[in-house]
Amino acid sequence: MPELHDIANEFIRQEIDEFIERPDERARIIGLFAKASEQMQAIAAALIDGDHETVDRLTAEAIAAGVHAMEVMDDGLIAGMAIVGIKFRQNFIFVPEVLSCARAMKAGMVHIEPILSAAGIEKLGKVIMGTVKGDLHDIGKNLCIMMLRGAGFEVIDLGVDTSQDRFIDAIEEHGANILGMSALLTTTMPNMGKTIEAFIDAGLRDDIRIMVGGAPVTQDFADEMGADGYGKDALACVSLAKQFAGKA
Amino acid sequence: MRPAGLNRDFILIGENIHTTRVLLRNGRRVAPSPDGVESVLFENSAGETGYLPIPEELKRRQDYEEGRVKHVMIAVLGGMRGDPLSLDYLRVMAARQIARGAGYLDLNVDEISHRLPEQIAAIQWLVRTIEEFSSVPLAIDSSNVDIILAGLDACQGRAGRPLLNSASLERSDALDAAARRGIPVMVTAAGASGMPSNAADRVNNASQMIDAALARGLDAASIFVDPLMFPISVDSEFGNHCLDAIRELRARYGPAIHISGGLSNVSFGLPARKLINEVFIRLAVEAGADSGIVDPVANDLHAVFQADRSARPQQLAEEMLLGRDRGCKNFLRAYRKGELSATL
Repeated sequence: MPELHDIANEFIRQEIDEFIERPDERARIIGLFAKASEQMQAIAAALIDGDHETVDRLTAEAIAAGVHAMEVMDDGLIAGMAIVGIKFRQNFIFVPEVLSCARAMKAGMVHIEPILSAAGIEKLGKVIMGTVKGDLHDIGKNLCIMMLRGAGFEVIDLGVDTSQDRFIDAIEEHGANILGMSALLTTTMPNMGKTIEAFIDAGLRDDIRIMVGGAPVTQDFADEMGADGYGKDALACVSLAKQFAGKA
Repeated sequence: MRPAGLNRDFILIGENIHTTRVLLRNGRRVAPSPDGVESVLFENSAGETGYLPIPEELKRRQDYEEGRVKHVMIAVLGGMRGDPLSLDYLRVMAARQIARGAGYLDLNVDEISHRLPEQIAAIQWLVRTIEEFSSVPLAIDSSNVDIILAGLDACQGRAGRPLLNSASLERSDALDAAARRGIPVMVTAAGASGMPSNAADRVNNASQMIDAALARGLDAASIFVDPLMFPISVDSEFGNHCLDAIRELRARYGPAIHISGGLSNVSFGLPARKLINEVFIRLAVEAGADSGIVDPVANDLHAVFQADRSARPQQLAEEMLLGRDRGCKNFLRAYRKGELSATL
């Protein structure tokens, strides 16, 4: 089993030592980085630091030096984000810092996306995202979209105040099989359930997986409405989408 | 109320009786009662320690499992069943806010259920209950107009006309209801199809609402404006968007109108929320606000305007709120070094 000292990058070692407390997570993250090259560890370190300029430069250099785009994405960017997610969950870092990391992720993905699409490597999946009818809040939903794109999904953003028909039309038009709905208000939350019913009535429910989230939403409520999953934050949203796409 | 250190009045709208409010399970106010039942601790109206037991059905909910206790929800659900301890809990919550200068008690039960009939039953019960022992008028708060109207129907207005919270371009029927009943109304700067993205959007949306309220015969003193404050953790310009809108609206509509709003949203996603909230209350008032929906128990308004603004924690929060600390970097660095803790 890989140990902490198998990781070359000192910053990454310190981050794991200081912030990753749960033994199962610690083993997983150490395993992730022990197999990553020093160059990839440096990209992850810059991402964890929220330094988008360095991520941009190191990613471009790695691609130019012939490192495979998938390796940069998995061993650099996604591995870095795994540490960020845990630090956020444990209140070691806060919203502005997660946003900086997400921006750094995006700076790296700019170099990777064209290569993956030119090589015919398919996106992980296509996700339709929107805030439900009657609700104008989008900060959380936008954060989810940024993270989903960073993780390799194609995302179609329907914005706020999205009617059932617009959700259904978008699924059909884009041939997407994952739907994400967000609500910030208790009073608009039931519109998630109504949208799910509309998909049943349209005979499309079995073709898609539905995930829901937003401040007042809970797992219980998601179950009761008949959603396939609930994510309590943007990182949970990404892991759900991966699970739905069979890429977890 | 007239906060110490401020030479004019501030209309404090106490936000504590909301079913969204949480206490941390590992915090000081959640502990076992003498007979070993996990409870919410409070000082009851006899001045002794009261224990409000956490019901089993709430323990199965996700927020409890994640370490949060929805104490107001417990009290409202208990009170509706006639539990005297729950009633005393709500009575004390009302009294403490009034003692801290609340001019209105804002009531919101949206999270009690996601079924409208249950939400309506809860707001009507809560309005009748709080009104019985409140010496100040109520603010009826919901994101659903039907719930607000049901709350208003239950309200006798014995301590003064209730405040309708809120109306906006996307739900202007609430404005009609306020005009019809001749009661004060909170109008927000939300747009007809989206949230405002800068100060100009806010001024534009709010102005349309104010003009519509005046056209329906409401007087300026019955109009409260919520310019909408978004979390500074998400964008360092969000503070300026709100403060610039406050300045512009005050200049445009003169002194009679009230500029208010939910101010504690500003600190979402950050540590040291009390410090951030208090500095923002001061900045909002300096920009022209004369009211706010705040937690008067956590944020003592008398301390807000007497705080030493040159102290380093205050300075750091102010710089951050005025858009001079991108990504809240300096603020968070100081937090980690323990430099903000003196004021917490």
